[in-house]
Amino acid sequence: MILRPRKQDHLLIGKYTGKIVIGVGILMLIPLVTSLVFQEWDTAVDFVISMSACFIFGFGTQLVCRTERDLSWSHGLVVASGSWIVATILGALPHWLSGHEGSYLDAMFDVMSGYTTTGMYLLQDLDHISRGLNMWRHLLTYAGGQGIVVIALTFLFKGTAGAYKVYVGEGKDERLLPNVVQTARAIWLVSLTWLGIGTAALFGTGILLGQDPVRAFLHGLWVFMGAWSTGGFAPQSYNTLWFHSISYEVVTVVIMIAGSLNFALHWALWTGNRKEVRRNIETVSFATTLMVITIVATFWLAKAGVYPDAMSLFRKAFYQLASGHTTTGFSTIYSKAFISQWGPVGMIATTIAMAIGASACSTGGGIKGIRLGIITKAFLQDIRRMISPESAVVRAKFHHIRDIFLEDGLVRSALTITVAYLTMYALASFMGTLYGYPLVSSMFEAVSAGSNTGLSCGVTDPAMPALMKIAYILVMWLGRLEFMSVFALIGYAYSMVRGRR
Amino acid sequence: MRRLASVLIAVVLVSGALVLGGCRVADNPEGSPNKPTSAELVDAPKAWDDKTVTFTGEAIGEAMVRGDKAWIHLNDDAYYIKNVEEGAHLGGYNSGMAVWIDASLAKEIKVFGDYKHEGGVAKVSGVFNAACAEHGGDMDIHATSLEIVAAGRDAQDPVKPGKLMWAIGLALVAGALYLVDRSWGQWGPT
Repeated sequence: MILRPRKQDHLLIGKYTGKIVIGVGILMLIPLVTSLVFQEWDTAVDFVISMSACFIFGFGTQLVCRTERDLSWSHGLVVASGSWIVATILGALPHWLSGHEGSYLDAMFDVMSGYTTTGMYLLQDLDHISRGLNMWRHLLTYAGGQGIVVIALTFLFKGTAGAYKVYVGEGKDERLLPNVVQTARAIWLVSLTWLGIGTAALFGTGILLGQDPVRAFLHGLWVFMGAWSTGGFAPQSYNTLWFHSISYEVVTVVIMIAGSLNFALHWALWTGNRKEVRRNIETVSFATTLMVITIVATFWLAKAGVYPDAMSLFRKAFYQLASGHTTTGFSTIYSKAFISQWGPVGMIATTIAMAIGASACSTGGGIKGIRLGIITKAFLQDIRRMISPESAVVRAKFHHIRDIFLEDGLVRSALTITVAYLTMYALASFMGTLYGYPLVSSMFEAVSAGSNTGLSCGVTDPAMPALMKIAYILVMWLGRLEFMSVFALIGYAYSMVRGRR
Repeated sequence: MRRLASVLIAVVLVSGALVLGGCRVADNPEGSPNKPTSAELVDAPKAWDDKTVTFTGEAIGEAMVRGDKAWIHLNDDAYYIKNVEEGAHLGGYNSGMAVWIDASLAKEIKVFGDYKHEGGVAKVSGVFNAACAEHGGDMDIHATSLEIVAAGRDAQDPVKPGKLMWAIGLALVAGALYLVDRSWGQWGPT
C-alpha cells in the first residue's frame, strides 16, 4: 500500500531543497566577482538576477517550510533528485540571459550537463562568451563533480543524521569519516588540494605554450575543473585541441584519471595507504578495460591508416579513449572526425569505454569499474563452482579499501544497476535512430550522455529535435544519480496522486 | 476523474516540452567565405589531405608563439564578421581550423576574438593536413601566407536597462526574505 505524503513531508523536502538552492546561489558569487574584475557589466547583472532568484526560492522555502523533523531515506532521495531539477532550472538563468542559448531548454541542457559532469553543450558562439559565464560553466561542473548536495552539506547542514540520506541520494555512499559532514569536507579537502596543484601545472604549461599569464591562469583553472570533475567543458570550442601540446595532454590525462578515482581511494592515499592503488578492484578493472579497448582501437586506426606514424596514432587513440573511459569528454580531434576518421570500430570502442565509465563515488559516471569487477568475479566464481567437486565451498572476494567477500546481494545489486544503465543506453540510442541518425552515431551520443562523458560525434547540436534534448537531459540526470533517487522522486510524485490518505 | 487529470498533465507536459524546445533555427546569416569550409574539411579530410587550400576566418583567442612559428585559430562560422554581443543571430556552434604559421605573419593580427573583441579576419594559404605528422596527428593547415581582410575591433555589450531594473528588484526581494528568515525566531510562530 502506498501512502499519500503528508504536509510534514512536503515541508521537510521543501526546507532541504531550499538549502541546496541557496548553496547554488552562493556559488554564483564566484562568476559574479569574475565579471566585476574583468568589467563585464552586463554579465554581472545576469548573475545578480540569477543569484537573487536562487535566494528568493531558497529563503522563501525556508520561511514557508518550517519543520524540525529529520530526513528519512525516502526524503533524502527525493531531496537529492528534486534539488537537482530546481538547481538546473534556476542555474540556467545566466546562460539564458547571456543570449547565447537558442531556448531555455538549451540553457537547462547545458546546466544539467554541467552538474552531471557530462560536458555536452548547446551554447552557441562559445568563443565569444564572457569570462564570467565561462567561470560559471566550469564551476558548475567542478561543483557537480563533488556533488551539489556535498556543497550544501559542507556549508549549510549542521550535522543532522538525515544528511547522510541526501548524500547517498546523490549517488555517493562512501563514508570516509564517521560523520557525513566531515566526509563532505574531506571530499572538498582532496578536491581543493588537487585544484591548487593541477591549476598551477596547467598554468605553467600554458605559459610555456605561448599564452599570456591571465589567459594561461584562467584556461589552467577551467581546464583543471573540466578534467578533475570529468566534465569535459573547455573554454574554447576547439576543446583541448586548442593547445596543440603533448605536455598539456599528459597533465590533463593525469588529472582526469585522478578525478575518475573513488574518493575513498583518494582518502586511502591521503592517509598513507599507497598499496591500495594496485590492489583496488576499481583501478585493476579500469587499467584492464582501458588497455584492451586501446589495443582494439589502435589496431583499427592503424589498419585504416588514419594517422601518419605510431606516435601520433597512440597519442590520439589513448587520449580520446582515456577521456571516454574516465567519462571526461575532452577531445583533441574534431567531433565529426569520429565519423570521418575513426569510423565504426573506433566509435564502438569509444562507446564501450564510455559505457563502462569511471569509479563509484568519484566525479565520473557510467556503469562503474567496481560493478564490472564484481560481475566478472561472480562469473569466474560460477565457473569455478562448476568445475569443483559438489561438496566444495567456493568463495570469492575482492579488494576495495578492505577485502570483501562476494555475497549474492552484492552481485544482484551490481547487476541491477548495470541492467538499468544498459536499458537506458539502449532506449536513448533507439530514440536517436527513430529521428534518423545512424545507429552507431546514436549509440555513441546516447551512451556519452547517459554515462556523463560528453564526447560528441555531432548528433548533439542546437538544431537537434527538442525531444532528444529532453531525453538527453533525463539520461544525464538518471546516469549521474544512478537511478534510485530519481525513481524515489517519481514514486513520491505518484504517491501524491494515487497514494492512500 | 483521476485518469482524466493524469491525461491532462501528460498533455500539458508534452506541449510544454515542445514549446520550450522550439529553438531558434540555426540560420547562418553570414555563411562561410571558404571553399572548402572548415566543416567540409572535417567531414571529408581524406579528400583534401595534402592539398593547398585558401582559408579565411576570424582570428580567435590568441596567437600561441612557439619559437619562430605560432598557432592561430581561424573561425569561418556565423560569427566571423559580427558576434552575438553585437547582435548577430544565433547560427550554431563555432567552427574553424587550426593554422600553423610563421610567428612574424601571426603578429600581423592585432585583435583576437573574445567576449570584448571581434577578431581580425585573416586569409591564409597553405597545405591542409588531415592528420599532421609534425603535430601528433592534429588536423591543421600549414600556412605560408597571411593577408588581413578586415581589422579586428572592440565589441560592445552595454548593460540593458530592463535587466538592471530586474536585478535591483529581485535583489531587494531576496534581501528582504533573508532578513525575515533570520529574524523569524524572534517574532514568528513556532
